[in-house]
Amino acid sequence: MSYDMLISWIQATLRWSAPLILVSIGEVFSERSGIINMGIEGIMLSGALCGIAISFFTGSVLLSVLITMLLGVIMGIIVAFLTVSRRTNQVVTGLMINMLAMGGTNLLFALLSESRHTRVTTMPPLFPESWHGIPLIGPILTQQPVSTWIALILPFLAGIVLYKTNWGLNVRAIGDHPQAAATAGISVIKIKYQTVIISGIFAALGGCVLTLGEVGYFASGGMTAGRGFIVLAAVVVGGWDPVRTALACLVFGAADAAQLRFQAMDSVVPYQFLQMLPYLATVIALTIMVKYSRVPKTWGAAYDQRDI
Amino acid sequence: MKTIKESKFIRVPFIGELFLGGARPILGIVLGLLAGGVLIAISGVNPLTAYWAMMQGAFGNLQSFTNVLVRSSPLLLGGIGVALGIKAGVWNTGVEGYMYLGAIGAAVVGIPALSLPPVVHIILTLIVGMVFGAIWGLIPGYLRAYRGVNEVTATIMLNYVAMYLTNWLVSEPQPLAEFGSFYPMSKLLQESAQLPILMRGTSLHPGAFIGIVICLLFHFVLFYTPFGFRTRMLGANPNAARYSGVNTNKQIVLIMMSGAMLGGLAGAIEVTGLKLRVYMDFVSGVGYESVAVALLAGGNPLGVIAATFFLAFLKVGGTTMSIQTGIGAPMTDVIIALCVLFVIGVGVSERRRLENVHDVDKTETTDASDIKGGEENVV
Repeated sequence: MSYDMLISWIQATLRWSAPLILVSIGEVFSERSGIINMGIEGIMLSGALCGIAISFFTGSVLLSVLITMLLGVIMGIIVAFLTVSRRTNQVVTGLMINMLAMGGTNLLFALLSESRHTRVTTMPPLFPESWHGIPLIGPILTQQPVSTWIALILPFLAGIVLYKTNWGLNVRAIGDHPQAAATAGISVIKIKYQTVIISGIFAALGGCVLTLGEVGYFASGGMTAGRGFIVLAAVVVGGWDPVRTALACLVFGAADAAQLRFQAMDSVVPYQFLQMLPYLATVIALTIMVKYSRVPKTWGAAYDQRDI
Repeated sequence: MKTIKESKFIRVPFIGELFLGGARPILGIVLGLLAGGVLIAISGVNPLTAYWAMMQGAFGNLQSFTNVLVRSSPLLLGGIGVALGIKAGVWNTGVEGYMYLGAIGAAVVGIPALSLPPVVHIILTLIVGMVFGAIWGLIPGYLRAYRGVNEVTATIMLNYVAMYLTNWLVSEPQPLAEFGSFYPMSKLLQESAQLPILMRGTSLHPGAFIGIVICLLFHFVLFYTPFGFRTRMLGANPNAARYSGVNTNKQIVLIMMSGAMLGGLAGAIEVTGLKLRVYMDFVSGVGYESVAVALLAGGNPLGVIAATFFLAFLKVGGTTMSIQTGIGAPMTDVIIALCVLFVIGVGVSERRRLENVHDVDKTETTDASDIKGGEENVV
């Protein structure tokens, strides 16, 4: 592998990891409070379409990000209402949200078909043009869009929120022992709603970054390609810690970037096996890491206020 | 389960059972169809016109009804596979992957000229498809049972792996691939490996009937055999199952493999009966639809038959609807997902009632208000 290949691989790793990291931050909070939001794949998909559509019609990236976040709030409220208030099974709820999003995006995208192959306004790079020429740092860091920078900084902020603030303590308490938290006067339902809505916002944002930050177009038929589930795996591999989860996302993003690079390299390995790489890496990482992770005690369980 | 429902909810035996078993799905489906109608109305079409076009498309004539049967074949088998998992408390969401592997198995023995009599060749392709599917199901089953890997993530990741594996096997240098095709696809299956067409002028293959027989078979297995009892015990209370000597890990692997075997059969039937070739995207969507079927059925094998026909009706009718009214066919996916969300989100739930009976200590403190609300454990 030549030097240029290596540089472009690292650059692509950061770019492809950015949406995964963003989605994972929200998911860490919701899973820490005990709710597995399996609908992130579908919310990502909706966010991806929403971002591209608003950017296509208005030409404003900022507006499309804001509206995508609003969409994330709405979908988060739906998931929260079902899993927290109605105490439905979290797996089923998530899978059906995914199916809903899949059908809905296919339906809407067919209506927007004029934007099918037109590139839209994408996220601008954070640093000015003149910085892009710096060797090594230029391609790896300064050419990256704003979204990558946000994704690189947010996990640390999320870690501070989760471990150093009162609210973060409440979230962790609720995931481990909701009854005790309720006894201590914390509104369990309210905080669960907050975390699930946060996971909705970040999932939608991640989808928006996937289209506006990376590829610049939307493709019908599930373009997130299982990334939501990769994030779910990353959260387990990262042991429900924002920074370690982000690292796991980087690894999966690296696998994704590597398969694209190797495909272009015309290697001996058939390209289909390279395409499998991110998924295989996810399964293998899960298998190896799952026993080292400390699961939030009420992970995936429903909380009923009447239980003592 | 029966006695619990009767004693706790409605004391009239049959009606109470029927009410609990049927009312919730039907209420949910009605609400889902209403919500779908609202969406159709928003897109500027009279919902009644759209649903009428759907009815016409699915039941208008004999030919369209055979389409419903053909569409229901993979859903029946996939649905019962997922339903078995639900009964045991595992989420076997890998139906698409199993179907790819089943299709690969069918292609491996169905494409070479083995000069076997048709009946033997067909049975061989189906069995090899089932074996391939079951082996694929062993992976997430083992990971779930012995490694504690979440089966939903594992199966969905493996679906993508299976998809690319299929694409590799049917791409040019491989022996199964068709030469010079624009899109990677396998060679045509041998005549002797193709399922017979039951009605001239249609594509009606026996898949749906095989599916119904298998649903009935698994109804028997689940409710009248020790294997089925262990499965249901595992789903209802894993600790109790372990305490009474069930090897729960082995049971989980077996259940995942059974579901995978049925998924493999579904893939093999889809290839030998309908597609006659293997290619990358031939099962798109069946994975989520099977989960929806199993949920609407409440994990019940007989319910799977009813739920499958509802979904197949929507899918086949949806195509006609999109031609006649211009609403895109993906609207049916939206309607299906809404139906399931309403089914799980509305009405009473199982967990709390079960809990009240299982925990003897708690029964003292419970009262009638406890029957509403609570978590879904088994659906």
